[in-house]
Amino acid sequence: MPVREGTYGLLAEFDTPSQLVRAAKGAYSAGYRRMDCYTPYAVEEAAEAIGFHRNTVSLVTLIGGLLGLVTMFSLETWISVWAFPINVAGRPYYSWPAFVVPAYEWTILWAGLSAAFGMLALCGLPQLYHPLFNAPNFRNGATSDKFFLCLESTDPRFDMVETREFLDGFTPVSVVEVEY
Amino acid sequence: MANHSFSEHHTKSLPADLSAPAFVDRWRSRALVIGCIFSVLAIILGFLSGDHWDHFLRAWLHGFMLCFGFCCGGMCLLMVQYLSGGKWGLIIRRPLEAMTRTLPLVFLYFLPVGILGMSFGKIYIWNQYADWATALREHLITNEEAHAIHFKHAILNPWGFWGTSLFVFFIIGTYIFFLNRWSLQRDADSAPNVKYWQTKFENISGFGVLFYSIMLFIVAIYWIMSLDPTWYSTVYGFQFLVGQAYGVLGLAILTLIALSKAEPIKTAFRVTEQHDMGKLCFAFVMLNMYLAFGAFLIIWSGNSPEEIPWYLDRIRGNWGVIATLDFVFHWLLPFTLLLSSDLKRIKSRLAVVCCIMIFARYLDMFWLIEPNFRDAARNLHWSFGIFEYATVPVALISFWMAYYFTQLKRRPLVATNDPHLAEILEPEHAHA
Repeated sequence: MPVREGTYGLLAEFDTPSQLVRAAKGAYSAGYRRMDCYTPYAVEEAAEAIGFHRNTVSLVTLIGGLLGLVTMFSLETWISVWAFPINVAGRPYYSWPAFVVPAYEWTILWAGLSAAFGMLALCGLPQLYHPLFNAPNFRNGATSDKFFLCLESTDPRFDMVETREFLDGFTPVSVVEVEY
Repeated sequence: MANHSFSEHHTKSLPADLSAPAFVDRWRSRALVIGCIFSVLAIILGFLSGDHWDHFLRAWLHGFMLCFGFCCGGMCLLMVQYLSGGKWGLIIRRPLEAMTRTLPLVFLYFLPVGILGMSFGKIYIWNQYADWATALREHLITNEEAHAIHFKHAILNPWGFWGTSLFVFFIIGTYIFFLNRWSLQRDADSAPNVKYWQTKFENISGFGVLFYSIMLFIVAIYWIMSLDPTWYSTVYGFQFLVGQAYGVLGLAILTLIALSKAEPIKTAFRVTEQHDMGKLCFAFVMLNMYLAFGAFLIIWSGNSPEEIPWYLDRIRGNWGVIATLDFVFHWLLPFTLLLSSDLKRIKSRLAVVCCIMIFARYLDMFWLIEPNFRDAARNLHWSFGIFEYATVPVALISFWMAYYFTQLKRRPLVATNDPHLAEILEPEHAHA
């Protein structure tokens, strides 16, 4: 993959989540779409402000759970009816009550694993390099007490001068240019 | 303070008038009208069925058990929320108290069960055929039934039935009296004394939940399980305990959603707490199914001639249809619907789930009670008597509802002397 060069985006730093949410809402209504918020803890309003209403983790979990259910129930049916039929006290080979508990366990197991790994995958993790870590204030503040909004240069509305002026309008602590 | 620098993030304040809105009166008159209509239908069916009012009395037991579940299950959940704390507990407290104060009516409902059903031997065969030897000779009961009636006489006798039932009603009544009285005293007290009241409620509730569970296990055996004296199950009481919480939670959420059209619940009932209660419903849906299926699986794998007939009575002869519907309404529908987190946050949809859950309790009680009787075991058939189950319980529950709404109007709808009050008045996401 060729090395990408140039500006990744403009990073504005805020002291409080409220300021961040206000700036994010402003940027969204001004037409910016390629942007992201970075906070030390989950701020649901920030996600909503940049138009991120839903995530698909629940769907991935549901599909995983259903796959687990079908897999185990089919496995048990195949073993008991075709592969290794055993007469247990005269009960039919296809004794569904006995299959329920393992099928249920696999539903939970697959749903849990899908939720955990699905969440990581949907977040784009693991990721070995991210340009934002080039900004020293991001490295020091993003996981402790600072709130960041990054407007990315791939956005059609992005303009180095205008966007910087736009962000300055929200009185951030600083606006820095981030290189790839 | 910078947090409050923008937009709608301001703490709300409770309205001055905390009493129930006027439309609760309309609910009550509607409930009374429905109750009267279904009473008339029930009496007409009683004459038509020509079974000496047997089915009427069985259906009465069915309706009584559901009302008992709402009233005393409400008391149990009230004590649970005192023990667990939490904001959902504050908002649900007054509706639960109103449910508990219906105990006098529930006791009245019990009297026909005790007097006609037991003392006159109309529905409990262990008293009807207390002279088991003669009954066996005349082929009125089976060998197994005769043996069970003889062997279990130490418990299944009129003295035991009345003594236990009256004792349980007395203890529950005492608990309900103090839980309600102290709750008002607590609100009248000053805020610094909250700690004292919290400790007091925790102490009475901790013991109360345990004691109530034991009492419920015993009365579930006397009132329902002993309809078939041959059968026994150690998980039976648990199923009633969880079933009651399941029904009570459904009714309490339904009440709050309906009340939230007007003040004060409109302000006090946030989506956050509604979501929490939806999750609690989900937990009870799972727990209920866990116990019901666990009991079934153990008895199915044991396949013992002493236990399995109880299930065969409830599966064969068309009863499988009811069992399947019970599974669908009790677990499949609420479970799949409550999986969605959006649904739990939308009032109209959560209300539908609550209605399904209450209907499931009704269906489940029918499945538990009717197959105990010889004419209905392994033989679900249409008769005027069967339709009593669609009229008598509806009438009893409607009258109970009317009384519940009356009690709901008696007190402010929100308990005020609680540190959680400030929290439920905060905006939904206080951290942003």
